[in-house]
Amino acid sequence: MILNALSIAMIFIGALSVFLAIWGGISSLILYRKWKRPSRPEEKTSLEDRSYLVFLIMVIVLLIRLINWPLFYVTLQSFISDIEGAMCIFGVTQAKPGLTRLLEFVKPIIFFLIGGWLILHRLDRSTKTSPLMRRKLLLLSIIGLFVLVDAFGDILLMVGIAPESLVSCCTTVTDISSRATRTTPVAFFGPEYARPLQVLFFITHLALIGFVGVSLKFKIFRRPILGVLFLFSLLNAMLFLLSQIEVFAPAMMHLPFHHCVYCLWQYVPDSIAMYLFFILGTFSVGWGFTTDLFGKIGEASDSLPDYLRKIYWFAFLFLSAALMMLIVHLLVD
Amino acid sequence: MASNRRWMTLFIVLLVISVAWGCQGERKSIEGRCDYDGVKIEPIYAVYFNLRDGTEKKFCSIVCASMSFSKLKKEVEEVMVVDEASEKRVSAPQAFYVESDVITVPHVKNRIHAFGHGEDAMKHLEKFNGRRVENPFY
Repeated sequence: MILNALSIAMIFIGALSVFLAIWGGISSLILYRKWKRPSRPEEKTSLEDRSYLVFLIMVIVLLIRLINWPLFYVTLQSFISDIEGAMCIFGVTQAKPGLTRLLEFVKPIIFFLIGGWLILHRLDRSTKTSPLMRRKLLLLSIIGLFVLVDAFGDILLMVGIAPESLVSCCTTVTDISSRATRTTPVAFFGPEYARPLQVLFFITHLALIGFVGVSLKFKIFRRPILGVLFLFSLLNAMLFLLSQIEVFAPAMMHLPFHHCVYCLWQYVPDSIAMYLFFILGTFSVGWGFTTDLFGKIGEASDSLPDYLRKIYWFAFLFLSAALMMLIVHLLVD
Repeated sequence: MASNRRWMTLFIVLLVISVAWGCQGERKSIEGRCDYDGVKIEPIYAVYFNLRDGTEKKFCSIVCASMSFSKLKKEVEEVMVVDEASEKRVSAPQAFYVESDVITVPHVKNRIHAFGHGEDAMKHLEKFNGRRVENPFY
C-alpha cells in the first residue's frame, strides 16, 4: 500500500461511501415501497421527514462521489514516483490492471447517473407536490449499489497497489502497431487514416453542437429527438477518444509517435480542462434525455422545458469550449 | 439572453487567452525530453539522430530510439549512441551492444547497453549475464 495524503483521503472517502451507500440504498428502497401505500397524514409526514433526511445525507455522498472521479486520477498520478517503470498514470494502472480497468469503466457511469439524479432532485424540489419522489427513491437505491461497488473498488485498489512494483509503461503498449485504436480506423480508412479520422471527428462534433443549438433555438424538446441526440453524443464521444489517442494527443504533445492520453494530461495540463468540458458537454446531452425521461410527471412537467433549456445550453457551451480549446491548441502548436 | 451572450463572450476570450498562453509554457517544458515519449533523458543512456535537414532528435533509450528509427529511417543521416563507460557519443555502427539483466530505463524495460570499446562490452556481458546483440539501427 502506498501511503500519502491522497490515498488516505481515497480510503476515508471510500469507507464513508460504503457505509452511507448501504444505509442510503436500503433506506431509499424501503421508503420507495412504503411511499406507494396510502397512509394517514401523520404517517405521511413521518415518511416525508425520513425521505428528506435520506436525501440530505445522500446528496452529500453523491457530491463527494462526483469529486471522487478526478481525485482517483490525481491519486494515481501521485503514485508514479513510487512505482518502478511508471512514467505516467498508465504505468500505475498496470500495478492492478483488472481492478483499475473496472474502476475506470464504472466511474464515468456513476458520474453520469449522479449528475442525472441531482438534476431530477432539483427539478422535484422546485415543485410543491414532489411528484418525482418515488422515482428518485428508486433511482437512488440503484445508484447506491453502483456507489458501493465503486467505493469498495477504490479501497481495494488503494490497499492493493504495492510500492516498488515493477511495471511496463505506455510506450511499450500504446504505441505498438497492433493496438486496437489503430487497427479500427485502419479497417475503415486504410493506413493513411489520420486525416479522415480527424475530419470525421470535426464533422460529428460540429453537427452535435449544431443539433443542440437548433433544439435550443426552436425549443424542440421531443423525447425521440433527445434520445437520438444522446446516442449521437455517445458516437461523438467514441470518435473523440479515438481521434485523441491517434491524432490529437500526439500532435498536442509534439510527440508524433506517442499515443498515450495519460501522458497528454501530464505534458499538456490544460488538456484536462478540455476533457472536462467535453465530458460535461456530452453528459449534459444525456442528462437532458434522462431528465425528460424521468421528470415528465405531474407538476414537474411544467418546469421541465425551462430545465431542459438550461441543460442543453450547458451542453452547447461545454462542447463549444472543448472544440475551441482543441482548435487553439492545434493552431498555436 | 443578452446577459448570457456577455458571459459567453467573456468565457471564450478568457479561454482562448489561457490556452494560447498555456501552449507556450508547455512547449518550453517539453524541450530537453525524449522525442518519442517525452520522458526526461538520462544522458548516459541517450541516443541521438542527426537528421538530413540539420536538426537533431534525442531519445531516452535504445528502445525509444529504435521505435522511432523505423519511422524516421529515410530522414536519419547518422545515429549516435552514448558509451556507458566513458559517457561520450559514439557513432552507432561503431558501438558494441550487449543485452543483459540490467534495466537502464525502467518504463520501457530497456536491457540493451551501448559501449564504445569491445573490452567494456565484454566486461558488462560477463558481469551481468549478457549476450552480444546487433546494432539496432541499420
